[in-house]
Amino acid sequence: MADERIDLPQGTLDLLILRTVALGPRHGWAISERIQQISGKVLQVQQGSLYPALHRLERRGWIKARWGASENNRRAKFYELTGSGHKQLEAEADAWRKLTAAVAQVLETT
Amino acid sequence: MLRDFLFRLWGLFRRKRAETELDEELRSHLEYEAEKHVKSGLSPEEARRRARIALGGLEQVKEECREARGVSLIESAARDVSYAVRILRARPVFAVVAVLTLALGIGANTAMFSVMDVMLLRALPVKNPQELVEFVRWAPDGSMMTNLPLAVFQHLRENTTVLSGAFAFMADTRVLRAGVESERSTVQEVSGGFFSTLGVNALLGRTIDPNDERPNAEGQVAVLSYPFWSRRFGRDPSVVGATVRVNGAPCTIIGVMPAGFFGVDRSRLPDMWVPLASDTDEVWALGRLKPGVSIPQARAQLEPLFQRALESLRDGMKRWPAHERDAFMAQRLVVNRATTGTSALRWDYWQYSNTLKILLGMTALVLLIACVNLANLLMARSAARSQEIGIRMAIGAGRRRILRQLLTENLVLALLGGVAGLLVAAAGHRLLVTFLTGNLERVSLEFRLNERLLGFSFALSVLTGLLSGVLPALRASRDGFLPAIHGTLQARGTTRLPFARKLLAVQVALSLMLLVGAGLFVRSLRNLATTDLGLARENLVMMGVDPSLSKSIKDKQEFWIQLTQRLATVPGVRSVSIAGDAVFGIGGWSRTIWIRQPDGSERDAQVSDNLVGPGFFETVQIPLLTGREFGWQDQGKSPPVAVVNRTFARRFFAGENPVGKRFGSAGPGSSSQIEIVGVIGDAKYGDLREQPRPMIYLPLFQHLQERPYQVHVRTAGDPAAVIAAMRREIQAMDQDISIDHVRTIKEVIHSLLQHDRMFAVVASVFGLLALLLTSIGIYGVVAYQVTRRTGEIGIRMALGAQRADVLWMVMRETLLVLAAGAILGLPAAVAAAQVLRSLLFGLAPSDPTAIVWAAATLAGAGALAGFLPARRAASLSPMDALRHE
Repeated sequence: MADERIDLPQGTLDLLILRTVALGPRHGWAISERIQQISGKVLQVQQGSLYPALHRLERRGWIKARWGASENNRRAKFYELTGSGHKQLEAEADAWRKLTAAVAQVLETT
Repeated sequence: MLRDFLFRLWGLFRRKRAETELDEELRSHLEYEAEKHVKSGLSPEEARRRARIALGGLEQVKEECREARGVSLIESAARDVSYAVRILRARPVFAVVAVLTLALGIGANTAMFSVMDVMLLRALPVKNPQELVEFVRWAPDGSMMTNLPLAVFQHLRENTTVLSGAFAFMADTRVLRAGVESERSTVQEVSGGFFSTLGVNALLGRTIDPNDERPNAEGQVAVLSYPFWSRRFGRDPSVVGATVRVNGAPCTIIGVMPAGFFGVDRSRLPDMWVPLASDTDEVWALGRLKPGVSIPQARAQLEPLFQRALESLRDGMKRWPAHERDAFMAQRLVVNRATTGTSALRWDYWQYSNTLKILLGMTALVLLIACVNLANLLMARSAARSQEIGIRMAIGAGRRRILRQLLTENLVLALLGGVAGLLVAAAGHRLLVTFLTGNLERVSLEFRLNERLLGFSFALSVLTGLLSGVLPALRASRDGFLPAIHGTLQARGTTRLPFARKLLAVQVALSLMLLVGAGLFVRSLRNLATTDLGLARENLVMMGVDPSLSKSIKDKQEFWIQLTQRLATVPGVRSVSIAGDAVFGIGGWSRTIWIRQPDGSERDAQVSDNLVGPGFFETVQIPLLTGREFGWQDQGKSPPVAVVNRTFARRFFAGENPVGKRFGSAGPGSSSQIEIVGVIGDAKYGDLREQPRPMIYLPLFQHLQERPYQVHVRTAGDPAAVIAAMRREIQAMDQDISIDHVRTIKEVIHSLLQHDRMFAVVASVFGLLALLLTSIGIYGVVAYQVTRRTGEIGIRMALGAQRADVLWMVMRETLLVLAAGAILGLPAAVAAAQVLRSLLFGLAPSDPTAIVWAAATLAGAGALAGFLPARRAASLSPMDALRHE
């Protein structure tokens, strides 16, 4: 089975996580499902690298975690964006747009 | 930053909870994922399997999460330490050997640091010690003199405005007599400002003040040190005000100093302090800078004063040869900070000689050897542990994680070694100070733990742990986990050993350096102990005799004649004579003489002189070459005569017979004063290392003074048996005659060799230690290799290899290591030995005997260490060996 999904470029996982939890509190598995759904299954998020990233973002204070009940009443760890997380998301998203625009321009004019 | 730290710390405290939460979070992820697969129609087992695959290695994810949370650094360090302790406890022999090795290596270095700390860094226990400065002289030939002429000191003291106080002192010995017992005590003669400038008060009574310094102060006074007060007077407070006799003169004890006070020289704790005699020539001088005055400012004012003071001495130097006078006048004043006081020991062993630096070099070598040895043991061990390491890597531990674990183990070892090393350091410190000073009770150089020492020891331990651990850890974690799992490490294990062999060769080379040093020192000591003295060392006793306290003795000359004759009748005594300076005493006094030349002119010369009684040369057995020695007729107003030694005859009379020639000592124009009547052989007189020098001997009875003389007695047998009888004979003449410092020439030489013995002992102990460590290293590596290659050996033997072939195959490795070590170590040893040149007597630093001896010892021990496992390999039965696989 040919796999056409692409691995995430270095450092973009954080951006995707921040963007995903910006929509509302979610637990880990839901975040990975969401990213894959929205990206049209193009982006391959290694589930194994998702959790270390979540813990890293939590340590930096961009997201915070609380334990709560999920939709089917199971206990789960929910992550949500903090104030400084919002700023970080804006900054990173901005940087990403500039980067992709610049790369696209280079690719088109050559 | 702070937030980050608090987060980590918080995580550390709620570690258990965080772990549970992490478990729960990942478990719930797996459940969700499996649920999703079940919904799409998979069986529950298959769904769980897929979920686990998608997540990856659970332990690995957890470890990465811990790392991401940041607690893992602190937390995993704690876990590493407890794991390391478990691992080490599982292998107690390895751990004990490693810790002991490190304890010796780190301890020896800490002991050296401790001695240097107390000698060079520990401040005096007085008020504001950082204001103290010492005055020394710089001579144009580049040498430093630690004293000043008394007149120069006085001139500085009286005219300076940069010092709030200054004082001078001199070390000396006196005979103290309280009641019937007399003993020789060490004293410090001090100027009046000594105690007040240091800012110390007496424990009892008062200290010496400027009034006591005046030439005609009423009666002698003395202040006792606390240890002396305890030892000699049992801490009796009524001793203050009591009168004792010091060198025969009445002297009042005016005070006792507190326990911790030793003056300004830690290496010479005196029994008492007495006022400086006004006829002292040269003194050690210190001062206290006024607050805010810097050393350059002080020097700027004191240097011109110093020059003026030197100039004022010019008149008194008319008899000096011109070149010496010029050299004297060209001296400069040096002002050194003296926060730590001044110390004869420091000048002797740090400034004037390389003693401490060489000891430091040797201890550093020992530590280096200990490091390499440990690296070797670790290397062999980590190869044995490759299975464990492989498994840990396979279940998700990263290489850095493994590295950190291995280094933690090593740091634990090194820190344990460092702690044990502190005990070694305390013992080593005592030993070293005993060697350097001869007597722990007369110095204030005790071992004391302080932050400098602990810091040094800690830093050294960490350095040692890293130094010995990095390479083995890198190698252990290099292969990853595949070989361990596939069981292919057996094959790889052998390829790993060439590096261990290189390390072993380095260890052999370092050990060789120490052993060559030990050989040089031991041979030098032997040379010194057996060197030809020019006189007979068997059965010669010397003692100081002082009749000045006796009231019954009217005629001193008569007394000495009688003493000589009465002692000669004591059974067991062969011959008796007296001298001003004893054999191996101070080495004669230096003086300038004027010699009549064949053409009638005069030349001046520097010689050493001594006063000796009739029969002196016969008694000490310096051979008479020509002419005669002094007899009873050479006394009083008889014509002045002298005996000279061979070097004198050769240097000043170029082969002619000097008997009948003349010289004088009373300045230019005096060259006809004294007639030479005899020539004796060259004998060493002050030091075992001295080169023959021109010496003159004058008849004691032509220059008799009121002072103690040294009686020399040659006995027929063991002198110890005769000493008591001689004492009785002397006391029988008069109870008040003081006898002091009875010693045989052998004892004197023994104490002269103290320093050389220290080097020989220290270097030998270190050398043996190095030998032992290297043997352990070779044994360990070869034995390990034999175990690894058991299967191979079995195959070889099954294919027809003889026991001798196997023995040779294993021994070859050892011999290669030894040869490589020798090639590396010999040039290094010869080069390093150059710094020992000035300490060696009668041999060059490249002395072939010492080098061959060292290399042979090392080769022998190394070959034996390699032979034991080789023999075991050769005695394997092929079947057993094959089954080993």
